[in-house]
Amino acid sequence: METRKSSEKFVVPIGPQHPALKEPGHFEFTVDGEIVTGASVRLGYVHRGIEKGAEDRTWTQNIYLLERICGICSHVHATAYVLGVEKLAGVSAPPRAQAIRTVTAELERIHSHLLWLGVAAHEGGFDTLFMYSWRDRETVMDLLELISGNRVHYSTNVLGGVKYDLDTEKMDAIRRGLDFLEERTHHYMKVVTTDETFLARTRGVGLMTREQAEALGAVGPTARASSVRRDIRIDAPYAAYPDFPVKLITDDGGDLLARFVVRLKELFESYRVIRAILDQMPEGELTTRVPRRIPAGEVISRVEAPRGELFYYIKSNGGEKPERIKVRTPSLCNWGTVVSVAVGHKLADMPMLLAGIDPCFSCNDRMVRINRGQGAQFWSWENLRQYGIEYYR
Amino acid sequence: MSSQTALQTAEELLKPYAMEMIKQEEDFRLDVLLSPDQLHEAVKALHDARWGYLSAIAGVDHPAPVIGEDANASGTVQEKGKESQVEVLYVFCQGAAVLVLRLKVPYTHAELPTVCDLIPSATLYERELMEMFGVEIHGTPVKDRLLLPDEWPEGVYPLRKATIIGTTRSGSEE
Repeated sequence: METRKSSEKFVVPIGPQHPALKEPGHFEFTVDGEIVTGASVRLGYVHRGIEKGAEDRTWTQNIYLLERICGICSHVHATAYVLGVEKLAGVSAPPRAQAIRTVTAELERIHSHLLWLGVAAHEGGFDTLFMYSWRDRETVMDLLELISGNRVHYSTNVLGGVKYDLDTEKMDAIRRGLDFLEERTHHYMKVVTTDETFLARTRGVGLMTREQAEALGAVGPTARASSVRRDIRIDAPYAAYPDFPVKLITDDGGDLLARFVVRLKELFESYRVIRAILDQMPEGELTTRVPRRIPAGEVISRVEAPRGELFYYIKSNGGEKPERIKVRTPSLCNWGTVVSVAVGHKLADMPMLLAGIDPCFSCNDRMVRINRGQGAQFWSWENLRQYGIEYYR
Repeated sequence: MSSQTALQTAEELLKPYAMEMIKQEEDFRLDVLLSPDQLHEAVKALHDARWGYLSAIAGVDHPAPVIGEDANASGTVQEKGKESQVEVLYVFCQGAAVLVLRLKVPYTHAELPTVCDLIPSATLYERELMEMFGVEIHGTPVKDRLLLPDEWPEGVYPLRKATIIGTTRSGSEE
């Protein structure tokens, strides 16, 4: 992971606290004046032992554990897991359940991409764009809350189906929300492609060729912005994607600007697919029965998370608990690109480059860190509020 | 290239190295059993033919079946002829086609060659495998801790089945 050339140079440590993002990671940039000559990364600060923990929980309990790998793309983790377990059990969820899974997944992608747009704009010093995009993101957050009652961990999936149905009223609310967001996204597209000041921070910055992206193992929008034609929703369709195909979005720019354009174009595609599913929502049951013990076997389950390919390997030995669950999240793949691309850029470009891959630390730090000896404490809303007031007094 | 032909290509590429091949037609999946000394050659064959991309490296622990009740983490009484092993899966994907290179290494000789010279992005996966399963990767560019805390004891590999979190970290408080 290191491309450091000389130990004589000046090293700028960034992180682990708040390395441009509100999650922990540690970077060391070797600089020669303003120019970065080397970079290294140290992860693991939010490593929680989830893969190990999963071996000690039942198939059902694991849905809730795995959903908590990520606070942004929680649904897609559960989806990868339940699709894999259902395959092992030899059942498949009813079409209506698959459609609702897909709607939730695409709403999640919208919220994730808008969140990213805000963060990336903020790193570029464009705080107005950050505030507008996060204001608009509330629309999709409200929709997710409307469907599931939750803003972060929607818990839509169960083994063999979904928990929540979409009635006409909710579907109309989603359509209205999408109309608003689509209009806003057109505006954002115009801003990021025409605002000269912002373009100066993105055009030609962090250039990555297709060959580089492939060699460095980039995935998702980061790879597609370097014209790598790879999207699991298209390559190996799952859930309702076989019936409601999405279009592949790529850009041959390879720079930060291309990463903005690809993600914004993907938003339009998400709006279109959600509308298509809502218009032709299959009728029928929401769940199918899944046995408590999952037959022995192993399965590889791949889905397209907002950040790229999410990989699950699930092994059962026929019991009530999995034998092994391996999770490889998209952020892990994309780190290599940052560390390599950083070299030759100005130090001031680093926050933008880091944000450019839309990293998610909680995703790639998982497996082992269990805190004991600290008594669990329950906080009521009033307690929390009081704590906040006292803290900032 | 369709997923079906992709798998056929992979099968032909890996024929010289494979000990056994298992095909699952409906899932577009091919499992190839390799001996550890064939790994680098096999990956090179895939790499030279530009077959797919390395999607993940997954470790799976296979502790030897334990007999006797006085079993503990360090001195287990094991069935004769069976050795504790770590199975390592190198998963390559191309479109819907999934190719799994499977290798088994015993605890006593848990070593694999690096593939970073061919696939630079493998470094993070290899480091994770080293930390979590105690498989030594020869020639991997960086061996620093990636995920585990700095004070984590040497020789404790969290994802081995014998490691029970909370009791194995003797000498250091949780």
